[in-house]
Amino acid sequence: MEHQDAGQPDYGTGQKKLGIYLIGVLSCSILTLISFWAVLSSQFTKGQIFLIIYSAACIQFFVQLICFLRLNTQTKQGQMNIMSFIFTGVILTSIILGSLWIMSNLNYNMMS
Amino acid sequence: MHSEMTVHEHHLDSNSTDVFGFWIYIMTDCILFGTLFTTFLVLNAQVQNGITLKTYLDLYDVLAETFLLLGSNFTFCLAILSLYQNKLLRVQAWLALTFLLGASFVFIEVNEFIHLATEGFSWDLNGHASSFFTLVGTHGLHVSFGLLWILMMIIQLPFLKITPITKRRMTYLGLFWNFLDIVWVFVFTIVYLMGAL
Amino acid sequence: MLIHLLFGNLTLEAIPFHTPIIMGAALFMALFTFAVLLLITITGNWSYIWHEWVCSVDHKKIGIMYLLLSVLMFLRGFSDVVLMRTQQAIAAGSSLGYLPPEHYDQIFSAHGVIMIFFVVMPMMFALLNMAVPLQIGARDVAYPYLNSLSFWLTFVGAMLCNVSLVIGDFAAAGWLAYPPLSELYYSPTVGVDYYVWSLQIAGVGTLLAGINFIATIIKMRCKGMTLMKMPIFVWSALCAMILVVLAFPVLTVTLALLELDRMFGMHFFTDFAGGNSMMYINLIWVWGHPEVYILILPAFGVFSEVVATFSQKKLFGYTTMVWALAVITFLSFVVWLHHFFTMGAGADVNAFFGIATMVIAIPTGVKVFNWLFTMYKGRIILTTPMLWVTAFFTTFAIGGMTGVMMAVPPVDFQVHNSLFLVAHFHNVIIGGVLFGYFAGIIYWFPKAFGFRLNEKWGIWSFIFWVLGFYLAFMPLYVIGLSGFMRRTNHYPDLVYQPYLIAAALGAGLIFIGMVLQIIQVAVSIKNRKALRDHSGDPWNGRTLEWSVASPAPLYNFAVLPTVRERDQFWADKKEQAKGAIHPLDLHYQPIHMPKNTPAGFIIAIFSGIAGFALIWHMLIPGIVGFLGILSTVIAKSFSTDTDYYIDADTIRKTELAHIKELG
Repeated sequence: MEHQDAGQPDYGTGQKKLGIYLIGVLSCSILTLISFWAVLSSQFTKGQIFLIIYSAACIQFFVQLICFLRLNTQTKQGQMNIMSFIFTGVILTSIILGSLWIMSNLNYNMMS
Repeated sequence: MHSEMTVHEHHLDSNSTDVFGFWIYIMTDCILFGTLFTTFLVLNAQVQNGITLKTYLDLYDVLAETFLLLGSNFTFCLAILSLYQNKLLRVQAWLALTFLLGASFVFIEVNEFIHLATEGFSWDLNGHASSFFTLVGTHGLHVSFGLLWILMMIIQLPFLKITPITKRRMTYLGLFWNFLDIVWVFVFTIVYLMGAL
Repeated sequence: MLIHLLFGNLTLEAIPFHTPIIMGAALFMALFTFAVLLLITITGNWSYIWHEWVCSVDHKKIGIMYLLLSVLMFLRGFSDVVLMRTQQAIAAGSSLGYLPPEHYDQIFSAHGVIMIFFVVMPMMFALLNMAVPLQIGARDVAYPYLNSLSFWLTFVGAMLCNVSLVIGDFAAAGWLAYPPLSELYYSPTVGVDYYVWSLQIAGVGTLLAGINFIATIIKMRCKGMTLMKMPIFVWSALCAMILVVLAFPVLTVTLALLELDRMFGMHFFTDFAGGNSMMYINLIWVWGHPEVYILILPAFGVFSEVVATFSQKKLFGYTTMVWALAVITFLSFVVWLHHFFTMGAGADVNAFFGIATMVIAIPTGVKVFNWLFTMYKGRIILTTPMLWVTAFFTTFAIGGMTGVMMAVPPVDFQVHNSLFLVAHFHNVIIGGVLFGYFAGIIYWFPKAFGFRLNEKWGIWSFIFWVLGFYLAFMPLYVIGLSGFMRRTNHYPDLVYQPYLIAAALGAGLIFIGMVLQIIQVAVSIKNRKALRDHSGDPWNGRTLEWSVASPAPLYNFAVLPTVRERDQFWADKKEQAKGAIHPLDLHYQPIHMPKNTPAGFIIAIFSGIAGFALIWHMLIPGIVGFLGILSTVIAKSFSTDTDYYIDADTIRKTELAHIKELG
């Protein structure tokens, strides 16, 4: 087990460090503020707001994964965690996109 | 065809196995929330002339909730740091702060729900409202359950002390609590910010 | 006021005193339960049953309990078959039969729910518990306490479904309870609520078991057993559990949303106020399709083990078998719309899902050919498990082909919801899942109980089952094609009657097959000394579970094995390495074991109380139930007395006894 905390079990999470947590909380705060500002200030078009808030959400998602959940590929368990996470993500994407496609198709065919 | 695994190795291995199992539980919770999000999006798309969230929305409340939850996420990580430094009292202190921030989040959310319901936006109004209350409410219920768990850890730690077992349980709780903040990012983006447009 | 808080909507009128069939069934259930309790009391076994079984966290015991539950519920599910087949055989033309529609609707709904959730799912977990930890060289599953909880939650879910027969009624909306029929307006009785809560409780059990087995397989394999050296049964279990873990949350959410509609007047699936009934159908099949693959994959795994063992040849194409399992696992998540081709989607959507459905037949075909190639030039021993495998090949192939036919949307438009569909899914579930599980149970029975099952009765029960299956379901294909729809309790056109009489006769043959199976077990128990498995390896097996005594000792392996190749045990036998180890020479370490705990049982009981309370809107019992669950979980978390050590001497004695029996 090539884990930096010798003698500790391999949870598949990276080493806990105050610096990374601080970077995490600051980045998340900034990204949150950007999203809210985009909506609350009236200077963007709907399309621009969509883009800003979704990008911010996705970036914050990754920041939280890396800084707080400490997902990494350094340990074997970390790799296993990431693989199961990616597979879940793939299935979730197919469920969500598939359902949205089917339901909008049904609505179009049956409700007009 | 024989080999021996020492007792010591077995213990370490089992802790790693246990946390992996909890991680898989988190994956199932992802699917759970994903299904609720999908339902919300589908029923959202259907609201044409009905009443929507937009009329009753107060984004500043949501902003406050977001920072409370984010803050509690951070204080929990500080509790973990203290845990690995074997400072029991500090762990309890950070956990208590996490609890307060989380409880404030729930308090604002419950108030918001009551306000919405009394204003006429109740869960039996239409599909959009039902899915709103269920999605956000399920997240809130998870947070409440997490709060109960945090309380239990604060009470339990002095009894059981800091051992591999309690470290493992704090790891579970940490995964759970962090995960809830991640879900909230999507909640406030898709439900509230999109709802305000 | 207090009465209302305690009893909610529950009154004595909930018991259908004026329906003789139900009262008869209730009496039978009560007598059976009473007889079992009496037997335990007379033989003075309460302490034993409680400590060794109810509180057990041992996967071997939990596997046996799952098996007992599934056999018990099979009897109930099959009694539904008898009712339905006899009704359809006589209710032709002017005869209305003896089952009115409201009753018939409950019967086919209960039949589906019981067979899927309380017969084949528990049977699958029985096999997984019996075989997986032993096959990977582990001492137990990753979470023994959760394993116990999973079983008891499934048990309580099944019991809630049984209670619905007597107190109240069951859902009459089909085994999937589509809205708007299942909404409160069209199903105002508690039936659908029973349906929801018994499935939710059992569903939590299943989900926890899924997590348990994934963690076990990924993390607890013995030294040297890489993923590509695992037995294929373990691979199939892993893939099935991945499906469980990803699909069951969808079921949980969907049923919860239905219940929110019913209980709080929400509008998820209503047809007005912005609800969408089709969303339920969409979501329930997102779960429903992976569910059937959850059932079939372990059966495929059993076939891989049985075919290799009884052809005395290594499994052909191990890597492609793994590939096929992985592809099926992924593809099973992108085909779900084929269950509702006819419900309004456009040609593009139908085409995508139709093609995906056809593609999923390919890896299945790869597996079938690999099994056939394994048998080719093998030295085949036609034991009962092997018989079930041969029946599977033809039967499942037919069922699969009709499935591929229906994967073509225009064809499906003709046969959707007809008896053709009913015949197809029974074909694959019975021919695939059930035949596979039967083979697995007979195959691993000696490992679990220490003696083999009687071959002669096994062969006869097999003959009746297979003949009965074909007689019961082939006519259904024919009349399904000519338009006979499912779930009909009466039909005006007499031309269908001969087919349905044949189907009823087929069901009768299956019934005889089941009776013969019961006799087989009884005779085997009576002759257990003669049928004793002395060596632990009655079939000359290839995998690790056959390297320990039968039944396996509490700790499974005295010394955890190291593996260098696939089918390590087979290789060792060939080198006669096993005989070279003397137990006196081996240095045994004390073995760390988890302590039995009543917590799983207690939490499940409180869940049952909570479920019953939610169904009947009984506030105080509901609160008691929830608080009970919570306090048990919290109390258990404070407990430090959760494990113990088996000392080396006890291990040595046990191993010596086994070596002696080996001869």
